[in-house]
Amino acid sequence: MLLFCQRGAPFLLIGLAAFFLRTFDLARRPMHADEANQAVKLGLLLETGRYEFDARDHHGPTLYYFAAPIAWLRGQTSLVALDETTVRLVPAIAGTISVLLLGALAFPLGRGPALIAAALMAVSPPAVYYSRYFVHETLLVTFTLAALVSAQQWWRHARPLWAIAAGGCGGLMLATKELAPLFVTAALLGVIVVRAKPVSSSITRGATLALFAALIIAFLFYSSFGANFGGLRAAIEALGIGVTRATGVSGHEKPWWYYLRLFEWERRGGIVWQQLGFTALAVAGVGVAVLSGKKMLRWAAVYVAVLAIVMSLVPYKTPWHAIHFVPALALLAAGAWAAIPNGVVAAFVVLAAVAMQGFQTYRAAFVYPADERNPYAYVHSSPDVLKFRALVVAALAHTPQLPIRIISEEYWPLPWYLRGLPRIGYWPAPPDDCDGALVIASAKQAEAVRSRLHGNYRETFLGLRPGFLCVVFVKNTPSP
Amino acid sequence: MKRTFTALLALFAVVALVRAEDKVPLQLELPKPLFAGTPRPIQIPNLEPPLVGKRPDFMVPAGTALLSKGKPVTGSDTLPTIGELSFVTDGDKSGIDGTIVELGPTPQWVQIDLGAPAKLAAIVIWHFHSQARVYHGVIVQASDDPAFKKGVVTLFNNDDDNSCGLGKGTDKAYIETNAGKIVDGKGTTARYVRLYSNGNTSDELNHYCEVEVFGQPAK
Repeated sequence: MLLFCQRGAPFLLIGLAAFFLRTFDLARRPMHADEANQAVKLGLLLETGRYEFDARDHHGPTLYYFAAPIAWLRGQTSLVALDETTVRLVPAIAGTISVLLLGALAFPLGRGPALIAAALMAVSPPAVYYSRYFVHETLLVTFTLAALVSAQQWWRHARPLWAIAAGGCGGLMLATKELAPLFVTAALLGVIVVRAKPVSSSITRGATLALFAALIIAFLFYSSFGANFGGLRAAIEALGIGVTRATGVSGHEKPWWYYLRLFEWERRGGIVWQQLGFTALAVAGVGVAVLSGKKMLRWAAVYVAVLAIVMSLVPYKTPWHAIHFVPALALLAAGAWAAIPNGVVAAFVVLAAVAMQGFQTYRAAFVYPADERNPYAYVHSSPDVLKFRALVVAALAHTPQLPIRIISEEYWPLPWYLRGLPRIGYWPAPPDDCDGALVIASAKQAEAVRSRLHGNYRETFLGLRPGFLCVVFVKNTPSP
Repeated sequence: MKRTFTALLALFAVVALVRAEDKVPLQLELPKPLFAGTPRPIQIPNLEPPLVGKRPDFMVPAGTALLSKGKPVTGSDTLPTIGELSFVTDGDKSGIDGTIVELGPTPQWVQIDLGAPAKLAAIVIWHFHSQARVYHGVIVQASDDPAFKKGVVTLFNNDDDNSCGLGKGTDKAYIETNAGKIVDGKGTTARYVRLYSNGNTSDELNHYCEVEVFGQPAK
């Protein structure tokens, strides 16, 4: 018991704190279009039992297959029954596990640095924010860390099971997102640069086992567990599509320093966003890695450098990719902390870094979760989206004989918010007959829609997201 | 001769009356536009059309002056998340960081105390002009009662769904620009001006860059 209190309790506390930050008030933020789209896809899986991998969109299958059991456990077996908390629990749990995995990965640095690394990951603004977000990124980070921990164990103990586990987690990485090969490559480059040698004399055997396990896992997920073998070919196509998207014109092009900015300081609309304490510690950790020769720190430096170079050079950038930098930066920061000779100074430094990160997380995840000044709230839905359902419900009750029409070139996340309601149709352009109990038209199409309406309509407007307005036409019917 | 004299007298009287009612264009100092690049197109029917070129002059009685600069401001959100309530009348309407007060979600109001009753000619509002957005439930009221319980005159109300709870309004919503929104004071005599809003099309928050109240001291 005493041993647990000394060794396990601090990790348990960090895990609990991470879980709290990732699960408290999960439904607070309106659904992002991507989240809504993926939640609807999950709903179809729950209702029909079918999932087919789409090479062009939605990334890999793991998000849906891991979300389904959580939905079942919460008694939600249809799209209508699903709620925001259920779908976001998947990344929230994965994000909590990732904190503990980082602690395990950092253990060769010592118990103290392992705790510090886990704590910094637990309160990291991008890590927390995207652990509360129903997208693939946090799952990918978690599987990457699981693969690294397993590979580390195989490296140190040469047990084949660890090689198989590492491969299995690598398979889960592949089944999560097309970006997975980048992290495998960066990790291997790190190993090569630091010239780490495993205990096992047969690297080929371990690598073969790992590769075999990875392929089996990826095969199972992409083939929808044998129900859709076309998914395998689509998975290979997806790699090419991913490369084309990353290097071509996608609308998500950003300057090379975009990710660096997220880890330093910027002021947006009067709000300061910064991770200076964390980043300064991590940069100091690079110095410690060079001077001390600690292989893990040197590996982390190479790993994060490869990611930074590749992801900065690729024009396609989104803020959720930032979480891939966090584990290695946390390792380096923990290494720097361990090198501080004065215990009081070390305690002050870590408390300050955790407090600064914690405050930023509080603002990002709880105060401004959907605010466009929040660097992590990317092309986020406006809070106005929460008003659409009430309008539709009222219109359906008031004018039961007419449909609800949504006529817009963009309409997500509305299908999520209007799920389960009858007589709703979506049109990318105005149909000949635009009349309905309620007609929601994009500002761009509003004039064309109005010209095709008959009768008396009241008009109002709501925002779908900053800069994208919808005109809402409500049919006026005579009072009975 | 008598008829000519009477006619001249009448003419002088008319001229004097017209001069007394002389109106002059409201002189506004507009901040620099803050849109970086092309503003996002927003064209919806219940919005005023976007301003193209110079705005038509808004006529106010001669002698109209800016009454609100530096005057005390109170509000429903006493602890704004960003900025201070005094920003509303501090004369800085540039719209850059550090010049905007941000009030929390739900309907919020700010109130300007002019110090003494005044005959209001115009109220000009800059909520937020670094992005094209529309504020919900914009209501402008004037009163001599600081609690706005009695003698309240509503000068503008575009709260079409009564989200602020003060009654539905029929005025048009408008896009925020550096030109600000001019609300006709209609010669209302009041000491206090109160402005409501209830979030906007981008977020749930309420912002004020500057509010200018023009008029003349009430006699």
